[in-house]
Amino acid sequence: MVKVYTITTCPWCAKVKKYLKSKNVAFEELNIETDDAARDECYRISGDLTVPITTVNGKDYVLSFDKEKLDAMLGL
Amino acid sequence: MMGVYDFKVQDIRGVEHELSEYKGKVLIIVNTASKCGFTPQYKELQELYLKYKERGLVILGFPSNQFAEQEPGTNDEVQKFCRLNYGVTFPLFAKGDVRGETAQPLFQYLTAQKGFQGFDETHPVAKPLMESLKKNFPEYLPGDSIKWNFTKFLINREGAVVARFEPTTTPLAMEGEVLKLL
Repeated sequence: MVKVYTITTCPWCAKVKKYLKSKNVAFEELNIETDDAARDECYRISGDLTVPITTVNGKDYVLSFDKEKLDAMLGL
Repeated sequence: MMGVYDFKVQDIRGVEHELSEYKGKVLIIVNTASKCGFTPQYKELQELYLKYKERGLVILGFPSNQFAEQEPGTNDEVQKFCRLNYGVTFPLFAKGDVRGETAQPLFQYLTAQKGFQGFDETHPVAKPLMESLKKNFPEYLPGDSIKWNFTKFLINREGAVVARFEPTTTPLAMEGEVLKLL
């Protein structure tokens, strides 16, 4: 399952979500502003608290709305 | 008479706090940008906070989306991600209005205590900020209301509002005034 770590007011998070939807990629959104467990997870993955972070395996991730990197990671 | 400590505010999780929690501290109350672009004042506020929090400084940030752009004239660096809580560790409160009829009572009080005295014309952002206000928000110009993001109010340990700094005064330029109260 693709996971997208977000915060509430983040235009780049919205772009990633919209892009994934447009490609019919199912994903789970985790808001690190309101969900402490998700915040810890996000920090463990990227070593920072920046969003959006998109990951498939919880190890490799793409920071920000970077179409090329997202395509490569998700095989789009 | 109402004072700063009589106000209640909500944090970003919706939990209510009384400002009397901060009695005896030196406070900087600031309306911040709610978007996540290039906002150097966040960085300087955080610097100031880390430097003086042991001595009793607390910064209280109130994000607002009442202003279209965050920093007119400084669009040279655009990052395409957001940092949780804008990378600051001082308290941030719920997003809300800071000017006009819908302004949070705290900001109505603060602007009544310390009115608008003009921008610091020597700051590079003063001119583009004034131009942007004239063009986009002419109704924001008259009166004592908050003019833009990062208007800062300095509160002494007794709760008195001692100074107001416009967006054209950077947080680090306030250091001397802060030190006088610590």
